[in-house]
Amino acid sequence: MNGKDHALLVESHERLLDVLRDRLELKGTKEGCSTGDCGICAILMDGKLVNSCLILAIQARNKNITTIEAVGTAENLHPLQRQFINSNACQCGFCTPAMILASKNLLDHNPNPTEEDIKEAIRGILCRCTGYHSIIKAVKAAALESKK
Amino acid sequence: MLTYLDTYGSKVQVIAHGTDLINRMQRRQIDSTVLLDLSGLSEFNFVQNDNGIIRIGALTTIHDLVSSSALDSRYDVFRDVAAKFGGPAIVNMATVGGNVCAASSSEDLIPVLLVLNAKVKVRSKQGDRVMRLDEFLKGKRQTALLPNEIMIEIMFEDLGSQSACAFEKIGMRNSLIIAFLNCAIYLTLNKRSKLIDEVRIAFNRTSSKIPARATKTESVLTGKYLSPELVEGAISSLKSELQLTSDFRVSGEYRREVAPVIFRRALVKCAERLGEKSIV
Repeated sequence: MNGKDHALLVESHERLLDVLRDRLELKGTKEGCSTGDCGICAILMDGKLVNSCLILAIQARNKNITTIEAVGTAENLHPLQRQFINSNACQCGFCTPAMILASKNLLDHNPNPTEEDIKEAIRGILCRCTGYHSIIKAVKAAALESKK
Repeated sequence: MLTYLDTYGSKVQVIAHGTDLINRMQRRQIDSTVLLDLSGLSEFNFVQNDNGIIRIGALTTIHDLVSSSALDSRYDVFRDVAAKFGGPAIVNMATVGGNVCAASSSEDLIPVLLVLNAKVKVRSKQGDRVMRLDEFLKGKRQTALLPNEIMIEIMFEDLGSQSACAFEKIGMRNSLIIAFLNCAIYLTLNKRSKLIDEVRIAFNRTSSKIPARATKTESVLTGKYLSPELVEGAISSLKSELQLTSDFRVSGEYRREVAPVIFRRALVKCAERLGEKSIV
């Protein structure tokens, strides 16, 4: 979990999302629809974007999990975080953790994404403020910044 | 595991990556109190071309299916599906076996596998059984899977050079949406005469509540040249053959309006994939 091992005894029906938020106090991962429709609870598991609301905690055993808490620090922001601020890409902010993780996953695999690549990477995440334009702009700017 | 299922199967629900099952558990639609997690069985995550038979492990994710080197551009139909299947987070988790075993009209892979004449392999302590997909699907949320069995594989004949397959889907949005209606077509053109040797058409949202073939319309097309007149004939046949349902998503009337549209799109895509650009 974000580079640290955790030994937890979980209930068979417990979702990864609940374990993250309630047991590990990692509140950066948000709960949206809880049906896999909105993508707000997305995290990275073994380098793949997944919805933590649709994963049983027990199914995450021995996996490498990255949540928004592992991306940048207040003193040293990740280029995506800096560009999300510069582009005003956070409106209510609820989808931002998932948007940043999905974008980070994209940039990790593809440092020069086209606009279509960016749209494809974030298409599973709903921004109910509908601020997609600024989000795409922020990801483009972060890709440029990372190259410098 | 199979021994465990043989004893306790009727009380056990197997789970792959849960993209469908966890939703149904939350809606209290699953009675079982015991879940058996199959997600770690990596031996059932494979895509192979075995002497002309394409074999797909039941635990292959949609992502792994479309990125498999065993499926060349003739299998772009799976890319058609993945592009409209759900967001990347769902594509990364949902499995081929899970999509088929969920057995409802919402499962986008089922129409495609139906027109590919797919077969399903299931395994229990007593051994393996192979059956046709249309026999495996018994009705909405009902399959021929016995309580002590798990699905391990889906297989179908390699497309060859004269066959193509395409998938079209209509929903409220382009992404992250359960289909109002979808359509899959398999088309074989005779290499010399260009006559339609074989065509298979499947739609979801039919009155059987699971995706089904439109066999009458298939016979209208078979043995003929793929011309604009023939497509019009096929569309009028479809209109009388398809019994499309109404539900909370959209009315049957709407579905009857868009069925010819996505049918035509899928047919054109098949023809284009066979290098016949100007037929329809």
